[in-house]
Amino acid sequence: MKTRIAAVGDIHLGEDVRGRFRARLEGIEERADILLIAGDLTRHGTVQEGRVVADELRGLPIPVVTVLGNHDYHSDAEEEISGLLRDAGVTVLDDNSTVVDGHSTLGIVGGKGFGGGFAGKCASEFGEPETKAFVRHTKEIAERWRVGLKELQADHKVVLSHYSPVKDTLDGEPPEIYPFLGSYLLAEAVDAEGADLILHGHAHLGSEKGMTPGGIRVRNVALPVLGRAYAVYCLDGCDPDEE
Amino acid sequence: MSAEAPQYVAARVQRALAEDERTHELGIRVDVRGDQLFLRGQVSCEGRRETLAGVAHEAAPELKVRNELTVVEIRDPREEESL
Ligand SMILES: [Fe+2]
Ligand SMILES: [Fe+2]
Repeated sequence: MKTRIAAVGDIHLGEDVRGRFRARLEGIEERADILLIAGDLTRHGTVQEGRVVADELRGLPIPVVTVLGNHDYHSDAEEEISGLLRDAGVTVLDDNSTVVDGHSTLGIVGGKGFGGGFAGKCASEFGEPETKAFVRHTKEIAERWRVGLKELQADHKVVLSHYSPVKDTLDGEPPEIYPFLGSYLLAEAVDAEGADLILHGHAHLGSEKGMTPGGIRVRNVALPVLGRAYAVYCLDGCDPDEE
Repeated sequence: MSAEAPQYVAARVQRALAEDERTHELGIRVDVRGDQLFLRGQVSCEGRRETLAGVAHEAAPELKVRNELTVVEIRDPREEESL
């Protein structure tokens, strides 16, 4: 059965734009069965901004699942922001999974992900403790996603990330900063267990479409990339005339 | 002491835009040409566009800020993609 997924990332809300994003979500239930948000909900990661995000997402007629992004960690308030979102009825993934029932069951695994670079041009767990810690952080995340996917029971499986698993969707960003935009370790973990789609944000100057080496579709849904409030992806062949 | 190289000035401004708590904007291109400082990229509203120019000016007060930042245009959702 088909599932229509609305997705966006990098909404970077704050008091100065309160109300605007919510207005854009008007009628979303006619277009999609679920809204997935790929992190960077705030600009500075403050509790006040977290409150704006929670207010914008509260009481939407379809389920909302999100991960946090690097901006949401900046003020060391990620736990509190997650709490505010959960109180508003939003599911916040932090290297775990959730299953949503609709026309069919949709399993979502995800978290913010992390950087390190892409095969052949990436950091290794070698040298100074700071370098090792950076690479180990990504490795641990990738392993949790792999286990999450393996254990997930659902008709469709989607991975929701902030950082990118592939280079394709970074096209437009300066290559010098690729290691800070994502890691191939994330794609490798997902390829090992399989999924229908990987969504990410973070690369504001990147491009929308890509694919993992294993053939899994990747979409960069950062708001500046989409240029619209959200994209809609339909799993299992949506017939446009069906509506 | 020689004048500061334009590359260092641009890097200092870019760092300020990323690290200043008023902005925290990471994707801005900063270029210095002569006595002019160019800001390029996209932001989400007019207010942020002006705040960025202000922070850039503070980081390099000797330069004239040329604010070429644009406000990201959000269109309505279009056709769904079938996967
Ligand atoms: Fe972002
Ligand atoms: Fe980000």
